[in-house]
Amino acid sequence: MEAQEDQLLKDCAPYVKFAKLDELLNLGRANSLWPLTFGLACCAIEMMAAGASRFDLARFGAEVFRPSPRQADVMIVAGTINKKMAAAVKTLYDQMPEPKWVIAMGNCAISGGPFVFPGQYAVVEGVDKLFPVDVYIPGCPPRPEALIEGLLKLEEKLTGKRRWPVVKPE
Amino acid sequence: MTEPANTPATPPPAPTAAPAAKPKAAPKPAAPVATVPPPEPPPPNPLPELALPCTGVHHHLRGLHAEATVSPDQVVFAAEEMDRTGFSLDTITGVDWIAENQMEVIYDYFHSLRNLRVAIRTRVPRDNPDLPTISGVFPGANWHEREAHDFFAIRFAGHPNLTPFLLPEDADYHPLRKDFKL
Amino acid sequence: MIAKELIADPGASPAETFVINIGPQHPATHGVLRVKMTMDGEYIVRAEPVVGYIHRMQEKMGENRNYAQFLPNTSRIDYLSALTYTHAFVGAVERGLKLQVPPRAECIRVITSELNRISSHLVWWGAFLLDLGGFTPLLYAFDDREKILDLLEGITGSRLTYSYFRIGGLYNDVDDAFLKGTREFVHQMRPRLKMYRGLVTENIILKKRLIGIGEISQELCRKYGATGQVIRGSGIPYDVRRAEPYSAYNEFDFEIPHYPEGDSMARYLVHMDEIEQSLRIIEQGLDKLPNGPVMADKVPRVLKLPVGDYTYAVEAARGRFMVRIISDGKEIPYRVKLRTPCLSNLSLFEEASRGMLLPDALALMGSLDLVIPDIDR
Repeated sequence: MEAQEDQLLKDCAPYVKFAKLDELLNLGRANSLWPLTFGLACCAIEMMAAGASRFDLARFGAEVFRPSPRQADVMIVAGTINKKMAAAVKTLYDQMPEPKWVIAMGNCAISGGPFVFPGQYAVVEGVDKLFPVDVYIPGCPPRPEALIEGLLKLEEKLTGKRRWPVVKPE
Repeated sequence: MTEPANTPATPPPAPTAAPAAKPKAAPKPAAPVATVPPPEPPPPNPLPELALPCTGVHHHLRGLHAEATVSPDQVVFAAEEMDRTGFSLDTITGVDWIAENQMEVIYDYFHSLRNLRVAIRTRVPRDNPDLPTISGVFPGANWHEREAHDFFAIRFAGHPNLTPFLLPEDADYHPLRKDFKL
Repeated sequence: MIAKELIADPGASPAETFVINIGPQHPATHGVLRVKMTMDGEYIVRAEPVVGYIHRMQEKMGENRNYAQFLPNTSRIDYLSALTYTHAFVGAVERGLKLQVPPRAECIRVITSELNRISSHLVWWGAFLLDLGGFTPLLYAFDDREKILDLLEGITGSRLTYSYFRIGGLYNDVDDAFLKGTREFVHQMRPRLKMYRGLVTENIILKKRLIGIGEISQELCRKYGATGQVIRGSGIPYDVRRAEPYSAYNEFDFEIPHYPEGDSMARYLVHMDEIEQSLRIIEQGLDKLPNGPVMADKVPRVLKLPVGDYTYAVEAARGRFMVRIISDGKEIPYRVKLRTPCLSNLSLFEEASRGMLLPDALALMGSLDLVIPDIDR
């Protein structure tokens, strides 16, 4: 009987794959990340550029920018968060359904960037002061390629595998 | 600074320097300037029709055509004069002269047809910075005055809505005052 | 008609109103603007903008670093036309130091500023039409914009935040690739503008959304200090490049597009015509680019402005931008004031939108061409 089952599995092998449900779901999530349309400052322009003609985020399945946090999986924090805005950003994060991820795009979202000085009164020094961050993309602002690389890093975090080869600097 | 028009803006130079010290002070501003051109006499007042103590300023030196210093209770009258002659409100700038214990408020105006720029200056005591609002004359002053209140705690009497503008709704600090510590 | 009643009597409060809060996260507000709208049905009784959600202490930062250290900040006020903002700041410092900038540097400043203006207008164009419901123009606009960014990146090293102008001149000279590429770009852009006209400007849906909507009178512009496309869309040809000629602009031949209607369509057309005029300026600049150095000699290592107060205004992509530097003779400015165009342009929104339909008010807001960090600084 067992030999028969083994044979059956062998015959199916080219057509059927077995995986844990979690892994399957993660594969689906990683290949269709829906970011929240949420621009704060300069980095948002590069985020738009990443979604527009030349860089075309659609190649990576992440172009469906949702205007509502209820429909989004990934929040790209693109810009400076100040103390007046912090509560709103936190609300947006809380409104996103699980599972959710956060990309801190640019130096302001990472650490407050160029707007930090002794005695500063307005800027939140990094979005990770508000909620956990999965991927940090440095730059002021980061290039669209960097944002794409950040999304690929997030995919890698989800699936454990890298979908695209790493581009080595020349 | 060579221009008499600018004297209101200058903070006190080396406090109460005796006349004997003056020749020493004279070459000081020359240090960063490569060549010192001879001081130009101020141009004639381009706006004699205004009932304000305007003096002409060289635009290529300071970016202004005329400026005037008025007393705090005159700012509304000055705004009305500017309004009457067709000027627009450019911006309102606060400056904290902490050494003199004064707050300066500079009202900038520009004329979109005659291409003129005028600055009206006034000073109020730093401990009690009260000024009348000009938002009744120029409604655009509303936001500029709120901003000056945010940054310097200058109170504009009669302002319709003097609440925090750029700072959070509950902000009680005034960050551009020179003694500001968070 | 409720809208007419409201315009006639601003104090009238209709019986039943409700409040809609738009922003600070909303796709139509281009960033983090928040508008509290008191509505009577579909009509706006009062739309009160709430700003400050991206206040970044730019003026405070001006007081705690020296003149050269403030240059990166100037690119981050209005990041879409960063070069013009840097221009105003270095201009104010040069005015204080009485520095003579070499003619080649001035000419390159004009060329790059105008390139930057086109790229800024293209972003506005794409985003504005996105507000109105058309997605495709954004893709065309960004396609053209990337060409400009390539050119500017080649000489400045950055795509958005250039800091290319330095006190006394430029960071470096332009190369042949830039000059050749810019000429090519001008040739490519003219037919594209023609295509934009056919694709969008003459589109009946766009006309229905914009013509006669959001009228702003000359008096309203004057009372609120509006500049840029708003005042030119109301029929006043006010442009700082002509009103207070700076840099090398008085050596250039260009027109100031203005339309008397004052509606959103007029502001749209001013934007589109300005791209055309900027191309003209760039072409002239390339033709007459003088040889020579791009940095003034004898720029002091330690910059100290003489005691006094210096202002410098430029025509940024959105209107009049002015820097006021008050110096007490030290290395660090005593006060840096930034007069930004978007603040004044937005401040008239409350009055201009009274009695409008909500979707029309969003078209009006889009046509004001707002960049929120420019308001909040």
